[in-house]
Amino acid sequence: MSVMATGGGVSFAAVHSQAGQSSTITVWVDSGRLPMAKAWVKANPSYKLDIVTFDGGANGDGSIEEKVALANRVGHGWPDIVFSEEQNDVQKLGYPPFNFPAVLNNLVPSSVLNNYAAGALSPCMVGKKLECLRNDLAFDVLWVNVPLMKQFGYTVPTTWQQWQTIGESVAANHPGYIIGALGDSYSDAVYLQAAQCHLNDVVAAYSLLSNPNDPNCVNMADLLNPLEKDGSVPASANEFGSTFAKTYDGKVLMDVGPAWYSTAIFEGKGSVLNAPAGTYGAYPPLTWAGSKQAWTGDVGGGLWILSSHLKGAQLQAAANVLVGLATSKVSQNLSQGYPGYVPAAKSWIAEQDASGLFASPLSSTFAIAAPEVWPGWSQTPWDVFGLWAQNVTPNLIAGSSVSSQLSVMASAILNNAQSDGFQVTS
Amino acid sequence: MLTETISLPVPERAGRRARRGRAGGRHRAGYAFVSIYVMMLLLFGVVPTAYALYLSFTEAGKPWHWVGLSNFLKTGRDFRFLPAFEHIAIYLVFWLVMLVVVVLFLALMLHGGVRRVVPAFRFLFYLPGALAGSASVVVWAFMLDPQLSPWHFALSSIFHFSVFAQVIAPGHLPVVFAVIAFWTGAGGWIVVMNGALNNISDEIIDSAKIDGANAMQLAFRVKLPLIKKWVVYMLILAFAAGTQLIVEPILIGSASLGMVSPFWSPNQLAYYLATYDGNFNYAAAISVDLLFVGLVAAALLVFRGKLFELE
Repeated sequence: MSVMATGGGVSFAAVHSQAGQSSTITVWVDSGRLPMAKAWVKANPSYKLDIVTFDGGANGDGSIEEKVALANRVGHGWPDIVFSEEQNDVQKLGYPPFNFPAVLNNLVPSSVLNNYAAGALSPCMVGKKLECLRNDLAFDVLWVNVPLMKQFGYTVPTTWQQWQTIGESVAANHPGYIIGALGDSYSDAVYLQAAQCHLNDVVAAYSLLSNPNDPNCVNMADLLNPLEKDGSVPASANEFGSTFAKTYDGKVLMDVGPAWYSTAIFEGKGSVLNAPAGTYGAYPPLTWAGSKQAWTGDVGGGLWILSSHLKGAQLQAAANVLVGLATSKVSQNLSQGYPGYVPAAKSWIAEQDASGLFASPLSSTFAIAAPEVWPGWSQTPWDVFGLWAQNVTPNLIAGSSVSSQLSVMASAILNNAQSDGFQVTS
Repeated sequence: MLTETISLPVPERAGRRARRGRAGGRHRAGYAFVSIYVMMLLLFGVVPTAYALYLSFTEAGKPWHWVGLSNFLKTGRDFRFLPAFEHIAIYLVFWLVMLVVVVLFLALMLHGGVRRVVPAFRFLFYLPGALAGSASVVVWAFMLDPQLSPWHFALSSIFHFSVFAQVIAPGHLPVVFAVIAFWTGAGGWIVVMNGALNNISDEIIDSAKIDGANAMQLAFRVKLPLIKKWVVYMLILAFAAGTQLIVEPILIGSASLGMVSPFWSPNQLAYYLATYDGNFNYAAAISVDLLFVGLVAAALLVFRGKLFELE
């Protein structure tokens, strides 16, 4: 099938619009952020917002880039504030031909910026320029089915090596149960980033370090190989796959995954598994045996971006709205993920823990994990998760070992990096 | 969808009748009818094509600054360019062969069959194509998932697939897309071919029968040569539509949570370059490449197939 015009399939629906006033600020949000924007403007009636819903650039579909590129061509039509689901979007939009985000270093008070969790703003950095505010954090933790662990007689692991030993025991004694998944597009961040693997590390402007022979990458791959083979960490398991709940209901003993798995995958109405309250709990990121410092991967977390096409009073007003949406409790209490802004995070997590859904309070684990995101896995103009899904996942499912795929991933990254003008060293 | 028309030879009888009418009035009505089409063609066919040509030879931000073939050379050297054209070439081979062989086979069977059941079968063949384009692709996303498909026993016992990702492994994609495109588009062509076959006069078929032709000889020696032009017509349109493949890889890509490259086909690559890289000039260059390939293929088929010659 073919289509003549490729419109991108993004439909924009105005929620409520105040026509033509110069003080109206246009805000584009995805459906997940719509309640936040509505709640904020209700609490701040002096601001007039034109809230427009769109797909948030989900799964790297480039809808923000597309709209900005078109607006750039005609010289008008940019949103004043836009929410992106894609953590690497600023690394596209901050460069030619887009040049879209406003530089926030002098627009947002440092008192606000200082309250962000360590590393939370790194996806927003284009060189030394701050070009967005982070919405939520997406560090990985160890999710554990607490009653099942007790029933099987395992203790919760603290190192990757202990986790591996349990996996081998599960494969032998409880086949069909899993301790992690290898079929996600972001499995590279979950495992390789946590292992401090230098596969996608921007070390300077337009300079990438990518070494598939890095011992950190090799060791993690070696650790995963037997688990992939014995089925305790299957390559065909993807939490968002159409049959995950059917195949693994009651069989997810452990899972390494982002903080937002809490109500997206495990507990509560609308989650994939919708386990009985008190089944799943979060435990701190695993360390490498012999090391005290744990590092963890980063899987998502949205960005609030301000347009650079605003001037004067309008610019300042829009910046105030941006800060309000990204940091105020009235907005962030409705966040789907753990807010990057620490004061908002405290009030958000208190509500989660009060829900009684989880086997133990999330707050203590999240506080430990939030600053442990390893900074050597960079946000890049290319979609590194997409590259993993397209080039590596099919091979893993066909039976290739994780070790054999490090060079496959490295060559996919190399092609894209060079095409985007990066110098690549190993 | 494609907006190309090829005029098919007009049966002689219709031509003679036209000459008998009042010439002036007929012409005016003819122009009126054609003008709507011509306007649409200009607006949505010629102008965009001209704009694409303009974009492909210029640079962003520098109006009317000609850069020669630079956009074509740069996109041609892009690491995604050759794989995309390779994919589409393999896909086209599968699809076009499947289309010609199966459509002709079914249309000939239908025409040679018992008259009473023909309308029912014609309707059956057409049915899958009646489902709106992308919806039928979504249906296929389920059909191909061994854990959801009503045909799971075939997928698992014949092909030994247990998960969707195995079905859409990179090496299978051209065949998978060809199968989808075939079942969503072939029904319409079976109906067209059936119409073409119905146009063959009974006298010819009866004389062939009297001469002792059996059903096979009748189909391959008599009917097939008489509908050759319709086959060429189908090939031209199918080739042009096939090179523009975009919906199947995008939808199967999102159904598989991103396991199909966003630049699997050339049209996808053009779309990606325009939207995700913001480079409309490169995108236009690839569109012009596709236009060129389509024109060359059409020209070959038209001249080799003698499409415009009157009998």
